[in-house]
Amino acid sequence: MYRTEDVLATLGMVRQHKLDVRTVTMGIDLQPCGSPDIKTLCDAIRARIIHYAGRLAAVCREVEARYGIPIVNRRIALSPIAAVAAAHTAEGYVAIAKTLDEVAAEVEVDLVGGFTALVQKGWTDGDRRLIGVLPEVLSTTKRVCSSVNVGTTAAGINMDAILAIGHVLKDAAARTADHDGFGCAKLVIFANAPTDNPFMAGAFHGAGEPDCVINIGVSGPGVVKAAVEDLVTREPKVTLGQIAEEIKSTAFRVTRVGELIGREVASRLGVAFGIVDLSLAPTPQVGDSVGEILQAMGVVRLGAPGSTAALALLNDAVKKGGSFASSSVGGLSGAFVAVSEDSALADAVERGDLTLAKLEAMTAVCSVGLDMIAVPGDTDAETLAALIADEAAIGVINHKTTASRLIPVPGKGAGDRAVFGGLFGEMVILPIHAAGGSTAFVRHGGRIPAPLSSLRN
Amino acid sequence: MHTYIVTVTALDRVGIVQSVTGTIRDQGGNIVELSQTVLRDYFTIILAVEFPEGRNTRTLSAAIIANGGKFDLNVEVIDAGTTAQQPVVPNAERFIITVLGPDRAGSIHEISGCLTSHGVNIVDLHARSEEGTFSLVMEAFLPHDLSPTIVREELERYGSEFGLESYVQHENIFLATTEPSPVRVGLAPTVEGDAVVPH
Repeated sequence: MYRTEDVLATLGMVRQHKLDVRTVTMGIDLQPCGSPDIKTLCDAIRARIIHYAGRLAAVCREVEARYGIPIVNRRIALSPIAAVAAAHTAEGYVAIAKTLDEVAAEVEVDLVGGFTALVQKGWTDGDRRLIGVLPEVLSTTKRVCSSVNVGTTAAGINMDAILAIGHVLKDAAARTADHDGFGCAKLVIFANAPTDNPFMAGAFHGAGEPDCVINIGVSGPGVVKAAVEDLVTREPKVTLGQIAEEIKSTAFRVTRVGELIGREVASRLGVAFGIVDLSLAPTPQVGDSVGEILQAMGVVRLGAPGSTAALALLNDAVKKGGSFASSSVGGLSGAFVAVSEDSALADAVERGDLTLAKLEAMTAVCSVGLDMIAVPGDTDAETLAALIADEAAIGVINHKTTASRLIPVPGKGAGDRAVFGGLFGEMVILPIHAAGGSTAFVRHGGRIPAPLSSLRN
Repeated sequence: MHTYIVTVTALDRVGIVQSVTGTIRDQGGNIVELSQTVLRDYFTIILAVEFPEGRNTRTLSAAIIANGGKFDLNVEVIDAGTTAQQPVVPNAERFIITVLGPDRAGSIHEISGCLTSHGVNIVDLHARSEEGTFSLVMEAFLPHDLSPTIVREELERYGSEFGLESYVQHENIFLATTEPSPVRVGLAPTVEGDAVVPH
């Protein structure tokens, strides 16, 4: 027998606070598909994706109905294509991207990740070809997402690759100028990329993973915000320690929902269950925002002093609650500060409270990094590369994942509005202070060496 | 063994449980299941009691009333027989059905009518109306071949006219979010790292 109050509390998370499973992401290993003939390779990739993911959409709908929890997105993460297609020409890479775009539509997934290269220490010819075709792929496919890992704590930071990506961003933005440079929103530049991240655009199926696996990205900014708001309203003199406890217990319930859905989907498909990613992922809807949680904690103007400390508290409490809820936690697992996707953060940018420098500081204590940030269209490739390098350095030095998803919006400048639509949202373009002031540094190229692991101050 | 179902209702007072269960013990019965609640100041208890030999239901009822004289008990005793009952809905799974919205006369009757037409068996139900707002939470067994979507759509079709929201959710979601024990799913979990549909 269930207590009515318990039933209504769980139901309230879904009804009133927008709790959902943000993504059921199926990871598929493509290594067995390798072939020197491009058509054979594309056919093998198509067959393998359909074999595993052919019933993914139907099963997600069944599980959604069974538990009454919305599954917002279904996605596929693949082995890094740079390795799978290493023997092929640039045209071959484009052919693979088009195959992925088609097969993703066929199996009813909205995005497919894994058009990826891991170049933290150096890059192969295949990696170069993949990075070279990114502007074409990002501008001519709808569902294909790409990521490049440019640094790790063990290897350091590949500055040659970062500079190349600066130029890729300029080119991809120009090719999608009619959509405010949206092509760049499908490209994530990582340091210390996780191998089991279910969130796009950075999901790929990394080394050490099984043939096929189900990973879950939960959502819950609305639920956490409601819990904090209720607590603060009930007990105005509440301490930050008590707020952290409230967030922990809410994160527990959110994580449990994710694990239940993930295990059920995996079980019905006959594949392995991987992890729940604890990340609080915002959407542009009001009430589904990480920024609003910080506001509920008392940081009314996001970007004000205290924003970083509040975000650190939130991020840590979510991880503690989630880790107690499940032993299968992985991916990025932290709060996202994806600016255009988070209405409160986007509003703070528009008011001038939240700056690029403050965002960079905040990314030192949360996942993922400078995410979904529109910058002036005339920003040069070297400055974009330098921004990416700064963010990668925060990750590499602090033994954590960081990432950059920057969109130089063609024809628009700081203060203009960039509109990406749907879950990608919109925002006022942020200025980059002292742009162009580090060109010589970036053009040195080479590799920033791996950091020392002792003397950690 | 002979099983009897005993129900007792009275205005709530301290000591009714002790009185009723004492009579059953003195009569040689063993309580195998019991559920008790107080609803709007009225005490209600239902018990399943086993006796080694058959009993006269009227005599048993009279004994409970006589021993609990000061409580003015209303007692009903039913002979449940000696054979084990088959489940009303075989191979069923337990779902939690929640209906929320404005209160109106006849809601529970009409909701239960929607469920009856699909062979859904209600096993636990709690409903209340407070300040014009109606909330109903029930545990119900859905036949294995009945999709919860069909039940939800049926309830929504009925409720849309009156502004009622309906939810049909497998019980595991509530176990997962309210208990720290390991997550349970409906089907056997796959061994981690092992795809059972190799390619």
